[in-house]
Order: sequence, then C-alpha cells, then structure tokens
Amino acid sequence: MEAIGESTMNKVQPQRVEVRGAQKNYGSLAALDNFDLTIEPGTFTVLLGPSGSGKSTLIRSIAGIERLDSGTISFGTQPISGPGLHLPPEKRDLAMVFQDYALWPHMSAYENVEYALRRRKVSSEEVANRVNEALERVGLAGKGANYPFQLSGGEQQRVALARAIVARPSLLLFDEPLSNLDADLRERLRVEIATLTREIGATALYITHDQSEAFALADTIGVLRSGKLQQLDTPENIYQKPANRFVAAFTGISGSFQGTVESVDGEEVTVRSGQAQIRCRMGSPLNVGESVEVLLRPSATSISTHPSDDHNSFTGQVLDLAYRGRGYEHVIECELGVISSVFAVTAAKRGDKVRVRIDPRNCLAFPL
Amino acid sequence: MALDTDRSIRYQVPSFLNTITAKARRIRITPMALFWTLILFILIIPITLFLSVAFSPRLFDQGKQWFTLSSFKPVFTGSYGLALLHSLILGVVAAVGASAIALSMAWLVLRTDTPARKIWNGTIFALFLAPSYLIALGWQRLFEQRGVLEIMGLHVTPIRNLLYGPVGICLVLMVKGIPFAYLVIANAMRGLGEEFEQAARVHGGSRSAAFRIMATLLLPSIFSALAIVFAEAISDFGVASTLSNVAHFSVATYQLYQGINSIPVQFPVSAATSLTLLALVILAILAQNRALRGRSFRTLSGRTRPASTLKFSILGKSLTSGWIIIVLVITLGIPIFGAVSASMLQGLGSLLSHYSINFSNYTRVLGSRFLRKPLIYSTEMSLITATLAVGLAAIASKVLTAARPSRSKRFMDFFLLAAVALPGIVFAIGYIFTYNLKFINDLGLHIYGTSFLLALAYTANALPSTSRSLVGNMSQIQDSMMDASRVHGSGPARAWLDVTMPIIARPLLIAWLLTFSGTLLELPVSELLYPPGSPPVAVGIELSLAGFDFGGGTAIEVLSILWALTVVAIAFFLFNRFAPAGWKRLGNQR
Repeated sequence: MEAIGESTMNKVQPQRVEVRGAQKNYGSLAALDNFDLTIEPGTFTVLLGPSGSGKSTLIRSIAGIERLDSGTISFGTQPISGPGLHLPPEKRDLAMVFQDYALWPHMSAYENVEYALRRRKVSSEEVANRVNEALERVGLAGKGANYPFQLSGGEQQRVALARAIVARPSLLLFDEPLSNLDADLRERLRVEIATLTREIGATALYITHDQSEAFALADTIGVLRSGKLQQLDTPENIYQKPANRFVAAFTGISGSFQGTVESVDGEEVTVRSGQAQIRCRMGSPLNVGESVEVLLRPSATSISTHPSDDHNSFTGQVLDLAYRGRGYEHVIECELGVISSVFAVTAAKRGDKVRVRIDPRNCLAFPL
Repeated sequence: MALDTDRSIRYQVPSFLNTITAKARRIRITPMALFWTLILFILIIPITLFLSVAFSPRLFDQGKQWFTLSSFKPVFTGSYGLALLHSLILGVVAAVGASAIALSMAWLVLRTDTPARKIWNGTIFALFLAPSYLIALGWQRLFEQRGVLEIMGLHVTPIRNLLYGPVGICLVLMVKGIPFAYLVIANAMRGLGEEFEQAARVHGGSRSAAFRIMATLLLPSIFSALAIVFAEAISDFGVASTLSNVAHFSVATYQLYQGINSIPVQFPVSAATSLTLLALVILAILAQNRALRGRSFRTLSGRTRPASTLKFSILGKSLTSGWIIIVLVITLGIPIFGAVSASMLQGLGSLLSHYSINFSNYTRVLGSRFLRKPLIYSTEMSLITATLAVGLAAIASKVLTAARPSRSKRFMDFFLLAAVALPGIVFAIGYIFTYNLKFINDLGLHIYGTSFLLALAYTANALPSTSRSLVGNMSQIQDSMMDASRVHGSGPARAWLDVTMPIIARPLLIAWLLTFSGTLLELPVSELLYPPGSPPVAVGIELSLAGFDFGGGTAIEVLSILWALTVVAIAFFLFNRFAPAGWKRLGNQR
C-alpha cells in the first residue's frame, strides 16, 4: 500500500451540507426531531449517538435513501430535499460506505469499484486507471479479480472504501463502517479512512456509536440523542466542556455518584457524598445545596502512592484489575459506588484497600 | 373445455388495451401502479367476483337472493358432500405419508453416507416437473385391463383393484407431494447445525434425548410440509380427472369440473365448493400455526456448524439405499416405465389379440393434430406465462420482503397466501365466470375464449407459488446493496437490473423453468379455458386418450416431457455458457 500522503489523487470541490428542521417519524417514534446541522465544506464530521438516536436516519436522508417528513437539506445553495422536493440518491454526487459493506456479491472487487464510475462520463482508459489506483490506495492492488466472498472482512470494507473514493465525490458518507471489524483492523482502517478522505478533500460525514472512533477521526463531533443534536463542537470541547450530562456520559466516564454542592469556587464546586468530599468542575451553573450527579472521566482517577493522602480522595477496595500494557486499570468499590478504569503503574491485589485520588479537572458535576 | 364462442382472437390485442395505453400517455404510470393493475385484473377481480357469487347470486344474475348461504347446502350433502369428505381424507393421508417419506429421505440424503443419496438429488427436479395426471396415467397404463402388464402376461387384477380406488389415488397424491415436503424439510435440516445435538449431549442428554431436540427443532418444517401437501392434494385436478374418474371415486375438484359442465351451470354452488376448499387449506395453515403456538425455531445463523455425516455399515448402506431406490421406483420408475412401454406398444387400448413393440406410435403422432400444433401452442403460451409470471413474482416477492411493514405488503401477503390455496380449477372457473359477465363485456373486455385470457389465467395460477418460491431468495438481498447502487449513481430500474437481478439470477431461472414446464403440461386451466380450435398439449393428450388411442396418447406424453426436459437443458446450458461469471458463482454458493 502506498504511504500516507503520497497519493496522486486530485482534490475535489467539497460540499457544504445544511440540514434545517428535519423531521422523520416512524409511527409514533420521532427518529429526527426538528433537527438542525451544518457541515462546513472539507471538514470531517462525526455524529455520535446510541442506537435509536437518529444518526442512521440522518445519514440516509442526506444520501437520499430516506425521505424526510418535513424540513430541508441543502448542498451548498442547492436544496436537495424539502417540501415537494427529493433529489434521488444517484443525482446527489456523493458516495457512501455501509456498515455491512454492501458489496455486490456477483461482481469482482474491480467491478464493484468500477461501478461508481459507470454512469460518469469517463473514458475506459481513465476508468481502468482510477479503479486500479483506488484499489492500490486501499492495499488491494492484486485482488481486483477476487469476488467478495474470497476476501476477508477487512478487505471487503477496503473495497467498499475504494468504491466510495474512486469517483471523487464531493461528499463522503460513512455509516458505522468499522463496527463489524475486529479491534486491530478497526484501528488500521480508521487511519486509512481519515487519510484518504482528507487526501481527496471531500466533506465527510461519519456516524458511529463508538466514542473513541469519533474522537480519533473528527474535526467536529455532533452528539445525538432521541433525534436531537445535543452538541456540535470540536473533540476537545466535547470532552472538556460537554453541553449536558448525556454528552458527558456518552463520551466516556468510568463512574458516577450523587451528592450535594457544599461550596462553589469559580469553575469548581465541592460535593459531599456520604463521608466523602470531592472537588470537581461544574458541568453547568450550580448553587450551594443543589443535588448533583458527578461524572468521572477515566483520566480523573488514579491510585495514590501515598495511602495517607486524603486530598480529594477516597478509600476503596479492589474488586478486579486488568493489565493494559502501560499499567493496570482497577475496578474499585467504595462508598461512592463502583469506579472502573482507575489507573496505576503497579498492580494492587484483589481485595486490597487502596486510596483513589481524583483530579478535579476531569470530573464534572451536573444538576440532578 | 371452452364455452362455445365464435371469437377466436389469437394474439390480437384487445381494444381495451389500446384505450388503457392511450390513457397511460396522459397520466403518469409508475411501474408499481402497473403491477397492481395487473394483479387486480388477473387475480383479485376474477377470484373475488367468482367467490362472492356464493353469498350473493343476484349480484351477478345467478339467482334471486342478494345474500344467502343456501349455496353451501349442497356442498355438504349428497355427491358434493361425499366428494368433499373423500378429498379431506385423501389430503390428510397423503400429507402424513408424503411428509414421513420426505423426512426419511432428507435425513438419509443430508445426514448419512448412504450411496443412493446422489441419485435422489438428481431426480428431485424430475418429480417437480411431472404433473400428477401424467404420474397417474403411467400407473394406469401398466395396470389397466389389457394394459402393459396384462399384455406381458402378468396377473395384476388385485393390484388394479387397489390402484383404482382410494389407495391408488392416495398413492399418486403422496408421490406428487413428496418433492414439496422434501424441499421444505431438507431446507430446515440443512440449517440445523450439529451444535444443538452437541449441546444436548455435553449437558447430559442421551442420544435419544438429542434426537428429540433435533426433531422438535424440525417441527415447523414438518408442519409446513403437512400443510403444503394437504393443500396440494385437496386442490389436485390431475388425479381427479384420471384415476379417480375411472375408479368412480369422486373428489371435490372433479365434482367442481362436472358442476361447470352441467346445464345450467351452477356457479353459486361451484363458488361455495371453491370457498370450502379454500377454507380447508386455510384451516390447515391455521392448524400449523396453532401447533407451533407462535414459537420461534430460528436455527440458522452465521455460526451454524455443518452437521456431521452418519457413517453406515455395509448392511446399513444396503438397507437405506434399498429404501431410496424403492421410493424412486414408485415415484418415478413405474410411471416412466408405464408411459414409455405404453407408448411403444402397438394396439394398446384396442381389442386386438396381437401387440407389437415399435416406434410407430411416435411416427404417427408426430403428424397428429393432438401433438404438433398443441405442443407449439403450449410452448408459446408457456414462454409468455413463465416470463410474465416470473416478472410479476419478482416484484411481488420484493414487496413481501420489504423491511418496513406497509399496507401493500400486508395485502399482498394475504392475497397471495389465499391464492396459493386456490386450486387451478377454481382459477379457471373464476375466469369463465368473470369474463362472461355482462358488465365485464359491456366494459369492452371481450376476451373470453381467447389465448390472451388463457395466458392471463395461466399467469394468475402460477403467480402465487412462483412468488412464494422467490421470497426466500429475495429476503437474502440486503437493502444496503440496492442503496449502495443508488448512491453510486444508478436509478431505481438500473439498480434493480445491476444488483437484484444478477443476485437472484439462478433462482429466477429455476422459477422460470418450473413455471414453463408446469404450464406446458398444465391441465385444469387448459381444459376449461383453451380457445376453440387451439387445444394445449395437455388437452391433446386427454383427447387422444379419450379416443382410446392409448399408445398415441402416451407417446404425446413422453414427447412433451422430453420437450420440457430439452428446454430445461437448453436454458441451463445457455445460463452456464453465457451468464457472467459472478452470476454463476453466486448460484453455486447457495
């Protein structure tokens, strides 16, 4: 496979995507509920949300596979979906990578990739060049003649990726493309998706329920819940300044506990829960005496090497531990509840009493 | 039989089609609207109008009452009632017998190393192709008075007495039901990996406990097989018009046929009989559902491991192979031997005392009015029917397998299920009734007694089962494959041609060939709806046999089947030779 950044692929004119007031109901369930979204040209946007949050409906509506009940979708200044208007998918100049690959089993890898160029006015010589280049770009140079069933899962998804980029569309859509692959392959293919997409310069919209995938890929992350956009922001802001409890919880926590605000000090508050007093950041404005839930990011906790250290810490018992290469992640049971992913370079024993220290910058309090 | 008419409109486009075409130019007709219009005219209107006359004779000038149940009274009394009872008993016995034999065959073929299993795989298609009346006629030619075996000097009177009665009729119905039952049970058994058996054994279950679990998991397919064979048996007309006719053992479908030939024609009673037959089939399906009590027996998954093969000793191999060969001899061997030997006997059916074996029947029938023209005509009709039915069935199966529930899906599901249960003869009578109605003729639909109507009736008759046969394959096509085609630049029609059609190319071909062969030798619709002067080949065979030309009739039978097999062979050759590699590769995977 060619090294990242060495491609000769031409840049495309990226598309600006604007969704306004999108509504889509399935029976009484609103998959999209007055949904607004703007995707700037040439950016890589990841929509993150649990099952049923509406992300698949949104990407399929943008692709033209689904019709909105109301609301509009525009590419640049051109409306493509709206009242009395539905531009069919084949006229939208986009490409899509599907969760189940959606390769056509009666076509070879070459034919699958070539398909995207069939209805474009491209000479047969250029078709061959571009298909071979796309296959080479995804590391399948010698496998064009293979049929999908002769390829592994990772190779099949690479063919789907080559099919998506070969026509150099202005918009690339990714519908949870890595969810059927094993961890190692996911990581490798993720890097390829990120580099290839940025290389051709297309606008990319990627949906996933995996927060690590979202943070690794995105220029911008949108978090969805029940058909509504909760927050659209940079990965850093989504992690550090989540708009609400749901965004914070969905983007990675190792535990949570409930308590009462004892004091407010600028951006930070002190929360009492039982005997423990924990300092943390405010997720949203809070007052003294208010009941809150404190969410702990995995990076907020560590096992203190000084058992007598009682600054912003609590005592707990090790329930379980897992070796993670650079150290150990422990599951600790304490009066606050069960906290996972508590890191230490050296392993504690199951049943040991340990002191867990909390970094106030990485725990967030939200009103109950 | 066709009602007398002076119209002989072969291949002439009826005037109403010109009107529709003219209107189509003005209004936008979508492919789905066209599809539903066709379904309306060939399936829904004829069947609904005909069946409704059972309750409301006055609606169609068939009596004085707007609503009555009196048409049902004769159905349950006298000769109709007796025929119905016979059909019911025959259906139950044939269903149980065919399902038991099919279960044993499926187990021997799929789970053991018995040597004769390979012969079975090669002959199952032939069993599908052979219509029941040809199987019955094969047996008849052998065992009838002065039949082939008596000419050979064998004393077969006791067997004949058995054959010409409920035992013989049941035997043929069972033979015809075996391939249907086998297909259903074998498909389920293929998906039943050995992990269920292993799970039972490792958790302390004995061999018999493991077997009971396997049998329970196969129950849905066994119940399905019972329901299918029962439906096939009670709606069969082929055996009714041959064996049961000569044995004077009345069955419901033959009673229907006689009813339609009586003067005056009693359409309300025929409709009531048809509804009763339909109700029996629906009851069988309901009984199947009730027996399963909504339990799910989904056994096929991506992790299913192929089952291991049971290895027999030499004695086991001999016994099991012997059983397969006995079943093959009864199902195919005897009918084939009966037909071929009868076709080569000069003088069969006459009172001659001297018989000779030669090919003169064949040379004679090659120029016969009952073979050449009827065979060409049936071939033309079968080509049209198979193409139209498979095209419509592909769309219908797509509607049935749509991921989201819709009204059209529910309606199609109900109507096709009901239509599968309708015997061919009911279709034919429904067509006679509907397309002779005054108001239909007033609409300009003068199509009764034409090839056009015959083709529509053939198509309507074949459509339900063809659609059902494609549903399984169509449901394997993930929606995302069509979506991928659309987002990569293809319109809906192009996406269908590029993706759906190639993926189901082999099932489509098989459905086409089964419909073609089935129509080529189809009897009840042909018998009742053929245009005057243009008998299809099945009618040609019947007419030939009715004239006691048994040798000639069976020669036509043999030549017609050979022709059907030739078309099948040519179609497979062309597919294997010219279809793109991916299409063939995909078919082989299945």
